[in-house]
Amino acid sequence: MYFRIIGNDILKNKMITLVTMIFVAAAAMLVSLAAILTINLSGALDTLMTKSKTPHFLQMHSGEIDHARLTSFAEKNSNVDKFQVIEFLNIDGSEIILGENSLVDSVQDNGFSTQSEQFDYLLDLDGNIINVSEGELYVPISYMRDNITKVGDKAVISGQEFVVAGFLRDSQMNSTLSASKRFLVSENDYEKMKNLGSIEHLIEFRLKDLSALGEFETAYAAAELEANGPTVTYTLFKMMNALSDGMMIAVILFVSALVVAITFICIRFTLLSKMEDDYHEIGVMKAIGLRISDIKRIYLVKYVAIATVGSILGFGLSILFKGILLENIRLYMGEAENSSFAILFGIIGILLVLFSILLYVNGVLKHFRKISVVEAIRFGTSQEKSSGAKRFCLNRNWLFNTNIFLGIKDVLTRKKLYATMLAVLVVSSFIIIVPQNLYNTISSKSFTQYMGIGDYDMRIDIQQTSNISEKTDEILKEISNDRAISNYAALTTKIFKAKMEDGTEENLKVELGDHSAFPIAYSGGKAPVQENEIALSSINADELNKKIGDRITLVIEGEEKDFSVSGIYSDITNGGKTAKAVFTDNSADIMWSIIIAELSDTSMVDNKISEYLSKFGYAKISNVDEFVTQTFGSTIRSVETASYAAVAVSLIITVLITLLFMKLLIAKDRTSIAAMKALGFTKSDIRIQYMSRSVFVLIIGIVLGTLLANTLGELLAGAIISSFGADSFKFTVNPLSAYLLCPLMMVCAVLIATVGGTSGAGQIKISENIKG
Amino acid sequence: MKKIIIGDRITKSFGEREEQRNVLDELSIEINEGEFVAIMGASGSGKSTLMFALSGMDEVNSGKVVFGDRDLSAMGENELSDIRRTKMGFVFQQPIMLKNLNIIDNIILPMMRDNRKNVASISDKARALMKRVGIGELEEHDITQVSGGQLQRAGICRALINNPKIIFGDEPTGALNSKSAQEIMNIFSEINEEGTTVLLVTHDAKVAARTERVMFMRDGKIVSELKLSKYDGTNMDTRIEKVTRKMIELGI
Ligand SMILES: Nc1ncnc2c1ncn2[C@@H]1O[C@H](COP(=O)(O)OP(=O)(O)O)[C@@H](O)[C@H]1O
Ligand SMILES: [Mg+2]
Repeated sequence: MYFRIIGNDILKNKMITLVTMIFVAAAAMLVSLAAILTINLSGALDTLMTKSKTPHFLQMHSGEIDHARLTSFAEKNSNVDKFQVIEFLNIDGSEIILGENSLVDSVQDNGFSTQSEQFDYLLDLDGNIINVSEGELYVPISYMRDNITKVGDKAVISGQEFVVAGFLRDSQMNSTLSASKRFLVSENDYEKMKNLGSIEHLIEFRLKDLSALGEFETAYAAAELEANGPTVTYTLFKMMNALSDGMMIAVILFVSALVVAITFICIRFTLLSKMEDDYHEIGVMKAIGLRISDIKRIYLVKYVAIATVGSILGFGLSILFKGILLENIRLYMGEAENSSFAILFGIIGILLVLFSILLYVNGVLKHFRKISVVEAIRFGTSQEKSSGAKRFCLNRNWLFNTNIFLGIKDVLTRKKLYATMLAVLVVSSFIIIVPQNLYNTISSKSFTQYMGIGDYDMRIDIQQTSNISEKTDEILKEISNDRAISNYAALTTKIFKAKMEDGTEENLKVELGDHSAFPIAYSGGKAPVQENEIALSSINADELNKKIGDRITLVIEGEEKDFSVSGIYSDITNGGKTAKAVFTDNSADIMWSIIIAELSDTSMVDNKISEYLSKFGYAKISNVDEFVTQTFGSTIRSVETASYAAVAVSLIITVLITLLFMKLLIAKDRTSIAAMKALGFTKSDIRIQYMSRSVFVLIIGIVLGTLLANTLGELLAGAIISSFGADSFKFTVNPLSAYLLCPLMMVCAVLIATVGGTSGAGQIKISENIKG
Repeated sequence: MKKIIIGDRITKSFGEREEQRNVLDELSIEINEGEFVAIMGASGSGKSTLMFALSGMDEVNSGKVVFGDRDLSAMGENELSDIRRTKMGFVFQQPIMLKNLNIIDNIILPMMRDNRKNVASISDKARALMKRVGIGELEEHDITQVSGGQLQRAGICRALINNPKIIFGDEPTGALNSKSAQEIMNIFSEINEEGTTVLLVTHDAKVAARTERVMFMRDGKIVSELKLSKYDGTNMDTRIEKVTRKMIELGI
């Protein structure tokens, strides 16, 4: 009798069994991949950072350097194991030609170095320390991935000729997140190039014990040593290297959680409708005193079989696909030494999925206990308590078509039943809308203003050169006479010491100039206007613990001066730590200055850029759109792809779940459908009733999903965006697509699925379901 | 006399190949307009199957069913639905009602599909019918809140709401006690008096004795027929005896 109940169940429900198995396989594959990737990433990263002996502490510094003082500091500090200063020769991208391509459009700071002697080695693709000969050039790995050049190409750097001898892995600057890229040349070649660019120093330390890093950082800062540039620690290097693949792993984990959830819903629907089919039998079995646990076991066995086959399939797939996903890690970091463990962890991950599925099946089977013997025998189906919507009566309804009325009424009376479907639809519309709004937002023009970039066309950077102030004036003179330029402003960045509450001092980069010419968006307050006002980037405001209206003390020309914080803005430039003020100051060294300009005819930007480039070779001149594209382009593109993928995934989920749900409903409502037919309702009447049910649920789902997307989704997206340095995030919505096109697509998906899922209703025979 | 339903050598079978057997075996039957007829037979003799066949709810394997002047066996599903909805009424042994509608909504449901605009007059008619069968006070009740007899009365109201030409009753009193059964039969008699054809299926001699013609089924065929006079409230005992004797004679 037990086995008759299960009977040819798997055969009978081929479709649903297969779908469930596919989902189990997908979940298993994703979890296994995530595990394999994690192990490989951490392994490869460890190998890379160990082999290349990444510095524990790095201070970049442009300007003069006092070797003796640094050496004596290193010798005296008991934590220091090794110490070195490496030169990084910054050369403008336009002077670097690799094979056919020049790096003129590169937003990276491209520089040249020689191989280190003690640590921070540059490695070849086999993980060995590169020994570079004269005339050879080793190129950062990212240019290989971007297909800029290949081994054997001729390279011309500021007129000097090289041969691309290979590619290098740089544990410091590998990551796309790192703004600089190191090329490797021989000592002799380096000497010849030395005066072709500006030199930056990398002051590097290896500590005896990494845990003393915090202590060492404080000691270095307190010693007031060279610090004209950013500081990077070992942990940050590690994070930057891991970030992009780490994000991928996070996304995979997120998607696998989603797939597991869908698997659960599939299982729930299948089991519940199976129980619905067997309601009478189960009731009878209970009535004659058979054990529930025996019945449960049969169902459980079936799912053990499905889940096991699915898991094995998923594992196979993950082995098949891992190569593709590991490509990036292998390219940037090399092989992991512990990759054999990875598969073990993959299996553990899969077992976890398997276990949770069986646990869930067991949980759903608890419903058996709830089957009432009396109801099962008397009515043959479960009797839900109809609740609510009492006043929504047919005899008072003149508004809705009767079929539509019946659909809506059913949803209103059986709220609990429809809740699962509603939840799925809410999640689906959420998943459709959020990535899309995110994409619209970050690709909109106004978004760059959130990022601290005003609405200008051309940007001239004057940095890493001497006499910045004179050079700036020279360019300004030209610009002020240029009729093609409709508006411009010069901004100079200087370092000032800011007094902290605890008496310590901290360096603050302040951008001085006219901030009203090209306004940016302030997340709070406004731009500085008075001499005693200052605006802080949100990261700085956080770190300095300042709010709008707070006072901050800067040391200017030896004197302490009080400023009030006039506003806070998001900034992605210069690591997000900037400040803006309008006071005049002639003292401190200028770190860099920029001139930003707007053209009366924006199509002329590229011409203007080449014109100014030819006149002012020392300046870096860029098209802002290009700057934005290079900085965000890949992010915008991946969000765009993700948003399309999200639409596809949600629609598939919607169709699938609606299909399963409708099948469940039809099984449950067999008697009612037969009664309707007996009373003279046609097949299409019944179809319309079911369509009204799903469209009604869908409308609620879309409304809730959209509301959630614009509140919770905005918050979530804001959290992601703030990692780029922007806050006060507001969605830019494309109403046509978000409020019309996407809902329409979902309506179509749901209607198609409803028609498909309810096709069985036509086959329901009156005579088989009404006992005469 | 005008025929309302003609079944001409209808055959209906279930099952596949070897297991196949004819539940209806070249059965022929004719019902006159305005008649009050009962079909009797042992349990499993195919009475319900015959009802489903005559009302177009189930197709037959061979033979022909004519309703009025239209051949049901040649019609599509939608046309059959239309006829059921507008010209026929059904009362089942178990009153089959939609669980999420209250009593009056269940009653007006068949009419509302096509005449939504007249909801007020349809509801009034439903209330009048309910009062007439003695459940006037139950209109807003849920179907789970009333007794089996009351539900069966509501089922009759639903069958009458569209002024059908014919009412089919498949053991309409089968689940009721004898007092309720008598009351229900009174209602059927009244309806018939007003001109509606009534075709009942039953295995209860007391029920059959209320009609004017009783047909007996066995082995998928109508094997015999008993004509009675129109019931006028008298001679009930002799009528029952006639039916019972015939049943014993046929071994039903
Ligand atoms: N859908 C069906 N499938 C298979 N056999 C059926 C089906 N419906 C009825 N039968 C069979 O047909 C015979 C007559 O059934 P039915 O018409 O319900 O009898 P009655 O109403 O006279 O008790 C029974 O033997 C029953 O098993
Ligand atoms: Mg029967």
